Amino acid sequence: MNERGFRWTAAALKLHAIARVTVRQQLAYKTDFLLRSVFLLFILYVFVQLWTAAYDGDSSRTIAGFTLKQIVWYLAFTEALTMAGPPLGPRIEEEVKSGDIAVKLTKPLSYVGYHYSSYMAEALFRFAVHLAVGSTIAWSTVGAPAFGLGWMGLLTLSLGAVTVAFLLSAVVALLAFWVEETRGMEFVMQKLQFTIGGMLLPIDLMPEWLQRVCAWLPFQAALYFPAGTAVHFQTAVWLKQLGTQAGWIAGLSAAVIWVYRRGVKKLHVNGG
Amino acid sequence: MSTGAECASGSLREDERRTGLGHSAGAALRFLLTCWKVNLASAMEYRLSFVLLAGMMFLNNFIWLFFWHLFFERFPAVQGWELRDVMMLWGISAGGFGWASVLFGNFHRIASIVSSGQLDVYLAQPKPVLLNVLASRMSVTAAGDFVFGVVIYFLAGDLSLRGAMLFVLGLLIAGLLFMAVMVAAGSAAFFVGNSEGLSQQLFNIFLALTTYPSGIFRGFAKLMLFTIVPAGFISYMPIGLLRDFDPAFAAGAIGMTLLFGAAGIGLFRAGLRRYASGNALAMRS
Repeated sequence: MNERGFRWTAAALKLHAIARVTVRQQLAYKTDFLLRSVFLLFILYVFVQLWTAAYDGDSSRTIAGFTLKQIVWYLAFTEALTMAGPPLGPRIEEEVKSGDIAVKLTKPLSYVGYHYSSYMAEALFRFAVHLAVGSTIAWSTVGAPAFGLGWMGLLTLSLGAVTVAFLLSAVVALLAFWVEETRGMEFVMQKLQFTIGGMLLPIDLMPEWLQRVCAWLPFQAALYFPAGTAVHFQTAVWLKQLGTQAGWIAGLSAAVIWVYRRGVKKLHVNGG
Repeated sequence: MSTGAECASGSLREDERRTGLGHSAGAALRFLLTCWKVNLASAMEYRLSFVLLAGMMFLNNFIWLFFWHLFFERFPAVQGWELRDVMMLWGISAGGFGWASVLFGNFHRIASIVSSGQLDVYLAQPKPVLLNVLASRMSVTAAGDFVFGVVIYFLAGDLSLRGAMLFVLGLLIAGLLFMAVMVAAGSAAFFVGNSEGLSQQLFNIFLALTTYPSGIFRGFAKLMLFTIVPAGFISYMPIGLLRDFDPAFAAGAIGMTLLFGAAGIGLFRAGLRRYASGNALAMRS
């Protein structure tokens, strides 16, 4: 094996080890997990009430291509994805404020790669649990799903969706190298995902002008693509969404690397 | 029948009691004013950060209203609720939460303060413990919530004198109810140990419930909303207090606030008697 191949293999092994440790950490905090699941159950219950009221309880009515059943399952998927993402912003902010970042930067592994691996492991693990919890409430309130290939669409697009969510959070979180306080910006980014990302309302139900705006933004790739495809699977749309996700992942990765390289040059760690 | 001496003695004790109460109320008010002044000065030390955080929270709330705008564009009325009502719901909820968190920023952190042993700091000071705990922190982001509430009132509220008075009453009840519920829930840490996570989730659930129209809930959920988790007394305000004033609802909201307030103070006092210091070194935060 040449030197370059060896380096890549070593990097992959390190990232795999980080992912394994992260999952084990998650298993250690079962109460925390349970409490988050309670909140997911609660918020889905509220959504079921809201949308049942909006549809006047009529399960046969279709609005913008969505029945009540599809809407509830759609929301179960978007909520499972949203609540899967760990708080990246506060973690990086804390590392910068406390000076812990000095220790992380001296380790023989990529700082962004470390956070990506840890984020993905935690998010995918949480997503699996939340999907089970969300499915329970959706199943019990509007009935069993019959999405066929939609499940395949959900799972394949969810991988890219979690990556896009990580990259969006990372761009904001890395601004901590300059401003230290990034919570406010993270809040706004999160709410943009909730609204124009399609978490609370499928993009198909939005006014046409807004649908056109959303098509040019990365937020839909993090939530709407997997959840929308799950309830309305069409092969051509699925392939197009995979391509769009790949494009956003490439563009946002470049942005993250650029922000990181500029930020890390500015960083001064005092004491420690 | 009482003798003159008894009357004089009784009247003197009554006077002393009144003077004492007046004195302690005055002292508490002076203490609160000093706390708020110091908290504000501390927040102003990082002016840019203050403005940014408060501004982001303001924007954050507006994005939520944007969602509701989209929702009501598709469904113009849901169970009698219209966009304007939901705007006022957010105005009352964010505004009430805002003033309570600015002036008494620790009200939802009691469980964490008790569990981590930070209460020792407050016990060592010659001030009313609960008041001291509550007022020792100012939430900077909540200033954005309060301003948001006021702006929403000017955008969607009834600007007559009566409307303004009802809105102020709504803000007052909402803020006090937020505090009362969270002091009661946070005091559970005295009895069940580390209930920080539980208290935080209850806070999230209570806060979320105050931002959805109460009209969407039915049956048992509605019953819970007006009893054990009294968020309904905040989320029904746009209809029961502001749009079609219902004296029974207003009396219920005030009564429930007083009931939860008394329960919160009672639980905190009872818990304080059980509290054992962990000898952790802590500073007032």
